[in-house]
Amino acid sequence: MVGFILANIIGVTIILLSIQFYRDIKPIFSNNDSFMSQNYIVATKKVSTLGSISNKSNLFTKSEIQELQNQEFCNHLGVFTPSLFKVYAGLSIESKGIRFGTDLFFESVPNEFIDVSLENWSFNSLDNNKIIPIILPRNYLNLYNFGFAESRNLPKLSEGMVGMVQLDVHLTGNGRKEVLKGNVIGFSNRINTILVPQQFMDWANETFSAEKQKNPSRIIIEVDQPANPAITEYFQSKGYEAESGALDDSKTTYFLKVLIGLVLFIGLLISLLSLYILLLSIFLLIQKSTDKIRNLQLLGYTSRQIALPYQLLMIITNSISFVISIVVMYCLRAYYIQEVRPLIPSLSSDFPTSIIILASTLLILVVVVNGILIKRQIIKTE
Amino acid sequence: MEYIELQNTLPEAFKQQNIMQSDIWHQVFRFQKNKIYLIKAVSGAGKSSLCSYLYGERKDYQGIITFDNSNISSLNAKDWTTIRRNNISQIFQDLRLFPELTALENIQIKNNLTRRRKRKEIVNWFERLGLAEHIKRPVGKLSFGQQQRVAFIRSLCQPFDFILLDEPVSHLDKNNANEMSNILLEEFEKNSFGVIVTSIGRDLELPYDYIMNL
Repeated sequence: MVGFILANIIGVTIILLSIQFYRDIKPIFSNNDSFMSQNYIVATKKVSTLGSISNKSNLFTKSEIQELQNQEFCNHLGVFTPSLFKVYAGLSIESKGIRFGTDLFFESVPNEFIDVSLENWSFNSLDNNKIIPIILPRNYLNLYNFGFAESRNLPKLSEGMVGMVQLDVHLTGNGRKEVLKGNVIGFSNRINTILVPQQFMDWANETFSAEKQKNPSRIIIEVDQPANPAITEYFQSKGYEAESGALDDSKTTYFLKVLIGLVLFIGLLISLLSLYILLLSIFLLIQKSTDKIRNLQLLGYTSRQIALPYQLLMIITNSISFVISIVVMYCLRAYYIQEVRPLIPSLSSDFPTSIIILASTLLILVVVVNGILIKRQIIKTE
Repeated sequence: MEYIELQNTLPEAFKQQNIMQSDIWHQVFRFQKNKIYLIKAVSGAGKSSLCSYLYGERKDYQGIITFDNSNISSLNAKDWTTIRRNNISQIFQDLRLFPELTALENIQIKNNLTRRRKRKEIVNWFERLGLAEHIKRPVGKLSFGQQQRVAFIRSLCQPFDFILLDEPVSHLDKNNANEMSNILLEEFEKNSFGVIVTSIGRDLELPYDYIMNL
């Protein structure tokens, strides 16, 4: 009986802990703004020396996009829309007499592929006071802070500071010119380009360009499993390139999911085995007392009355081990929460009540099934 | 329950034996309430089988057995539980006591179920059957004759229409056997029930209405 309780505690603790752990670190998977992004791959065509000389196009044609979309590994596909007009962005701080600017380009992707909070991510061309929200790649900021600013004795910029600066964005093309305000609202780890909202891009391309929609040179796709060899194979056969980094993150995510699934499975296995041991030992007990059970039945005891003590024994041992498991799970969680906290600051160390509901459901299920099995075993002696 | 009827009943094991001289097997016979029956038989004639059939313990017979008008082959486990609590009591040949429990606990295990007898009544029977000093002793430590008396007391701790006594005095001396008869007859005066006693030699002394050979 002690052996059972011990085994069951271990099994149930592993189940509860792995479920709770999964729930605790789930934000890492689902939150867009996290290092372990969902499984996205940005695809481009290889820029080869020969291609440059022969002026071979690096753009994706409609049929190529369609084909990629039809691949089994591709859940969702979005195209990068390039800007078809000239962009010049300038920054001036009058008081210090600083004035500088640069030629730029913009790209846009559908919103669902963006890993930054989309709170201010909108553009309305009818507004009088038009502001263009801009998302920069995080490594641009790093390049400036740790490369450029360092060597020129310029002040380093935090993300918040950059957000406060308003840029003057000059848009030229199609014989028209307009100056709008631009505002950096966030930094992306996933997408390596200067992003603007799709609404702005559609409006600006129409206004400042005579050209028709150009084919995209970059495509972002969402996949289930970036380690899928089919992707590599397909990319190689088509001469596409996947932007690195994203693939590695995705592998980590996938690996973690597999790992948690494995742990959950082991926990379930141990629990099932321990439950089986308990049931077997109770059956053995019943077997040992077959004569006595038979006598009680002949004296007029119902199978229900006879089964009750055995069921109580089962309920009590199971309840004890579940309670201990919950306590152990809580202690272990308090330990790992310290380790994970830096990654997920929002993590609450409160007692997770939902896990108790889950454990109770599990307990009730186990007790009901075992109760029925015990009763059946008693009836068999009739 | 007013009567038990056997219609051409025969244990399966006896099917091959063609020549059977019996007042019960392969006959139509009715046990009535308020009558006392003695079934005499040699060993192996099927006394205990008959008791097992009437108590729902075994079903390996051919023919029909009815309680009042209902065929007992159609009774389920629940029905038998009710019958064993309220309608038929039995002293089993092998007694079916719990050896690690005391004599009194063995009685209580039945009486707690039926609430039929008061403790005083039970203790009185213990005294009359010469078991007063054995009340608190585990039954496994008692002689078979003493155990028979405990089983007898237990059989009275429930209401019944028929009582089956399967060789109840095989290990009893005359005095105790007589005391057992007295107690049974006292109950017979107070309540109405049928008595079926089996014997292979020593008979419980009772005013039998019918004496049969199995």
